[in-house]
Amino acid sequence: MTSGRQRRRVVPDYMAAARLTVPENVHVERTTLVYIAPDAATNGLDPPGSHLLTLLRDGPLSVYECAAHLGLPYCVVRLLVAGLVGSGTLLTRDPPATDLPDIEILELVLSGLRAL
Amino acid sequence: MASALSESRISTEHIPVKLVIAGPFGVGKTTLVDALSEIKPLNTEEVLTQAGTLVDDLTGVNEKTTTTTAIDFGRLTMPGVVLYLFGAPGQTRFQVLWNELVRGALGVLVLADTRRIDDSFAVLDLVESAGLRYAVAVNHFPDSPDYPPDALRQALDLHASTPLVVCDARDPVSARASLIALVEHIKELVLS
Ligand SMILES: Nc1nc2c(ncn2[C@@H]2O[C@H](COP(=O)(O)OP(=O)(O)OP(=O)(O)O)[C@@H](O)[C@H]2O)c(=O)[nH]1
Ligand SMILES: [Mg+2]
Repeated sequence: MTSGRQRRRVVPDYMAAARLTVPENVHVERTTLVYIAPDAATNGLDPPGSHLLTLLRDGPLSVYECAAHLGLPYCVVRLLVAGLVGSGTLLTRDPPATDLPDIEILELVLSGLRAL
Repeated sequence: MASALSESRISTEHIPVKLVIAGPFGVGKTTLVDALSEIKPLNTEEVLTQAGTLVDDLTGVNEKTTTTTAIDFGRLTMPGVVLYLFGAPGQTRFQVLWNELVRGALGVLVLADTRRIDDSFAVLDLVESAGLRYAVAVNHFPDSPDYPPDALRQALDLHASTPLVVCDARDPVSARASLIALVEHIKELVLS
């Protein structure tokens, strides 16, 4: 029976059951850029993994964009990405630390905004 | 599944950076992000427990005890950098999520509405107590009263150096000017 109170599932059950974890020393956050490692073996992935690779064929995307395109919550895609980074399939580019932002980066943002 | 094909390409040389757009309910956060973003509005979900903490492993993610909230998210690809804009929900019950969204941000643009200026106090308190760099943009609505800038500064209790700009969040040129004011301010803070 369905009712208005019934919740839709946030992730497919098989993923929820997989107990994915972030491998130690893999750092993934919302704006981390991810891309396919040049020498990656890209076959034999489960469906979300192969969707992710299809998405990244045209170049890097942030983890958050991957989540939106895959239609999965960030917490799920973060684990998916971390697993594929751990296995060497994906590489990442982290956002720089911001306690003292790099002036050159701020200048790039300013000139980029002004050129819009 | 949407295609990322038609948008500007990000390269592995791009440095990802982020700015957060904050402000109370209905102040224009979604509007501002959409006005500026080069990508179609994307909806990303965050999963929280009833207690308001973020779910970060998948055990129990489908249980009744979790709730999801959609986050505004935009992108501007520029030479050398890719700028991500995050709209942060104003509700204080999402404090944990808020902390995560602002972590690693260059700064925060706080939106205010002069018809209900008090509504921005909670967000300003959050931003200031976290020691974040920020600027304030007053989003102008047709029935917004026109206060002189000094009166607004005083009402918002802003430091003399904190930028205060008036914007129309629907207008990309105006939205862009608010971000430029914010980034100029961040630069000054870093140089000082
Ligand atoms: N006239 C005018 N209307 C605006 C402006 N900015 C936003 N609006 C309208 O105000 C309403 C609320 O704007 P949103 O962008 O949804 O506000 P929000 O901050 O995302 O709201 P929540 O996500 O609910 O907290 C929408 O109907 C917008 O079209 C503005 O600068 N001028
Ligand atoms: Mg909104």
